[in-house]
Amino acid sequence: MDRRDFLKNLMVGGLALKFSPGVLAQSAGPELAVVEGESPAAITREAIKALGGMSRFISRGDKVLIKPNIGWDRTPEMAACTNPEVVAALVAMSLEAGAKEVVVMDHTINQPKRCYARSGIQDAAKAAGAKVLFTDEQRLKKMTLKGEWLKEWEVFQDFVEADKLINVPIAKVHSLSRVTLGLKNWLGAVGGNRNQLHQRIDQAVVDLGAFFKPTLTVLDAYRVLFRNGPQGGRVSDTRLQKTVVAGVDPVAVDAYGATFFEIKPQELAFLKLAQSRGLGKFELEKVRIEKRAV
Amino acid sequence: MKRERSKKYFWLQRLRILTQAVFFLLFFVLFLQTHYPGEDYLKVTVERFFHFDPLLLLTASIASRAIYAALLLSLITLAATLLLGRFVCGWLCPLGSVHQFFSFIFKKARVLKPRKDDQASLAPKYLVLFLVLAASLLAVNLVGYLDPLSFLYRSFAVFISPLINIGLAQSGNLAYGLGLKGLGQAISQAVGNLALNGVFQNALLIGGLFLVAVLLNARKERFWCRYLCPAGALLGLVSRFNLFKLKIDPEKCINCHLCSIHCQTNARPYPAGEWRSSECIYCETCAAICPTAAISFPLGWKSERMQGVDLNRRRVLLTSITGLVLAPIFKISPLRRRSNPALIRPPGALPEPEFLGRCVKCGECMKVCPTNALHPALAEAGPEGVWTPVLVPRIGYCEYYCSLCTQVCPTGAIRELTVEEKVTVKIGTAWVDKTRCLPYALGKPCIVCEEHCPVSPKAIQLVKVDTLTPEGVVATNLAPFVNVDTCIGCGICENKCVVMDLPAIRVSSIGENRSAHNRLVLPVVEEQGQLKP
Repeated sequence: MDRRDFLKNLMVGGLALKFSPGVLAQSAGPELAVVEGESPAAITREAIKALGGMSRFISRGDKVLIKPNIGWDRTPEMAACTNPEVVAALVAMSLEAGAKEVVVMDHTINQPKRCYARSGIQDAAKAAGAKVLFTDEQRLKKMTLKGEWLKEWEVFQDFVEADKLINVPIAKVHSLSRVTLGLKNWLGAVGGNRNQLHQRIDQAVVDLGAFFKPTLTVLDAYRVLFRNGPQGGRVSDTRLQKTVVAGVDPVAVDAYGATFFEIKPQELAFLKLAQSRGLGKFELEKVRIEKRAV
Repeated sequence: MKRERSKKYFWLQRLRILTQAVFFLLFFVLFLQTHYPGEDYLKVTVERFFHFDPLLLLTASIASRAIYAALLLSLITLAATLLLGRFVCGWLCPLGSVHQFFSFIFKKARVLKPRKDDQASLAPKYLVLFLVLAASLLAVNLVGYLDPLSFLYRSFAVFISPLINIGLAQSGNLAYGLGLKGLGQAISQAVGNLALNGVFQNALLIGGLFLVAVLLNARKERFWCRYLCPAGALLGLVSRFNLFKLKIDPEKCINCHLCSIHCQTNARPYPAGEWRSSECIYCETCAAICPTAAISFPLGWKSERMQGVDLNRRRVLLTSITGLVLAPIFKISPLRRRSNPALIRPPGALPEPEFLGRCVKCGECMKVCPTNALHPALAEAGPEGVWTPVLVPRIGYCEYYCSLCTQVCPTGAIRELTVEEKVTVKIGTAWVDKTRCLPYALGKPCIVCEEHCPVSPKAIQLVKVDTLTPEGVVATNLAPFVNVDTCIGCGICENKCVVMDLPAIRVSSIGENRSAHNRLVLPVVEEQGQLKP
């Protein structure tokens, strides 16, 4: 952002504040929106609406990076990657809110092009107006993470340079961290030997979550993977939950996501670590939750 | 006498160069198209060039005692050669074009100075051909080493393509360094889309041979085509009834020798009556270069007495016998008795003897593999299997839902499979090395192999394992346990294992479907969750 852009944004922001009295009132709105319904796109839209609309998070001219889970060479009915309609809805809403550019990107586990194509995310996000880009090794830079465990690690610069970051994980089980939700999704924004992170996965997940700090976390639980995680392989490993959970607090979103698998948030070590790190709160009874159905 | 070159043959020569460029481009475009297209099945028959190669039809059919239908297209090439001579070599063959291009360069640079009366025998290529054919009779398929299409494709897949990738990566790096983010991005996305990021074992050897073949043009024009190419030899044997025959008008000829000096394949257009039709590739150089337009290729129905192939019966017999004697040498390998654990073949590969009979070592499968899993073998598959594809899990694994390598094999050495069929093929089995596996050996948590196992239910299951540490503490962790019945040997576990140098879980070829003997003979009997011995 150059100086002119900065000044422009300052003025636009100032005007927006002056003429939209709703902004301050919204601080008392829900912290977590949980929306159930038949259409993945509709429940995503409704969840963002419940939080106060996308313009609360995205400003005119923003460069937005949306980080779904595109890790696996699996089609949507396998529930290994984020639902493409959820991603596309977020792309469209970001653009409607005035984003200058929306990039969709993930550092995949299986072969990148296969993941992008077969997950359906590439086509859906492109149709919605996003730039869907493969991660580029040239853009990796070793960065100081200041984590408890991860002092430094290689990070794709795209995730750091974006004005706004939207994390769009899918709810799945995992044999080590038990579930993989929003915080663990940041493994897809870093390079290096990521598999080493599994030796202290809970700490790694929190260190990465503290570094990336998304504007918004939107958990896709339309179809969840309850067995054979994190990539499944049979439709019978999945279950229709038809829900989207959205919020600013990444810890609360993950805490709510755990309940889909009959896991109490306090059972999850990484949520406790995340809360004591100040990333958010996992005690759902202390979170203002708004549930809707469309 | 009026001296004027022939306009007609000048333009025919230009047309030939254009055709060569078009066919080389076509070859290269199909080469670039040999990658995951964004859908499960390739729409373009990227291996089509190979189907028109009669040498492959002949050798692969004889060696494997079976005819692969697609290769019958090469009968068109044979028929055309029967009538028109070796125009395929001069006009269409992409490797021929490469050689001709470099011959041209070397001539311009005066590195190559063609001599007036070159008496060097052109027989070696026929001997190569008879050697290869004789070996085929004994079910040893050696054609891949010197077949022009295999040679060129393999060199491009294994050597040139990674070079292009390095070039692109460095220009991308430079673009970012100069602040041209858009350009850097465009380059990286193109590399990702074309899947150009492969690196291959033995690339330097294969690339070195390619460079040698190219550099030989500095010695003789089209060195490969003159002396080495078995496919050219085969076409030469067939081209006996050429409709277009070289004719020198004795009244115009000034005996300047230019035509013979610059003949690309030393087919001796001069003196009259010496023309060797089986060597002529109809490049039209002689007719175009003749200062008095004395040379033409009129249509001649009458069969004239022509100079035959530079061969005699004794030589043919001798070479064929040599081939029959040499062929068994390629079979000397313990692999015929005992499978090599490191010889993991792509899914759909035929049983090893049939596979070796069919594989022409072209590298199509290596190029198309999206994970860079397939590599040219050196010693893994024995002397007859050098450059055949071997899956190296440490470099790349077999992507579960991908059947691309089975779709591009030009000779059916890898049977074409649908994705549904492919996921049932077992190419090997994974084995945990408990002396290196983190939970077993170090008492540290790690479930990376289990996480990546694509089979559902997972072929890598987790069991609780206690490890006693030197501090006297018992560390209990989940550790991998491979179900040998459901493991398909895809190798992603080995590929993703955090023990980078020698992974703690490794795939070996045991259990591969295609082999009747490389199996675990005793089925594991399961009863009430208990493994019975």
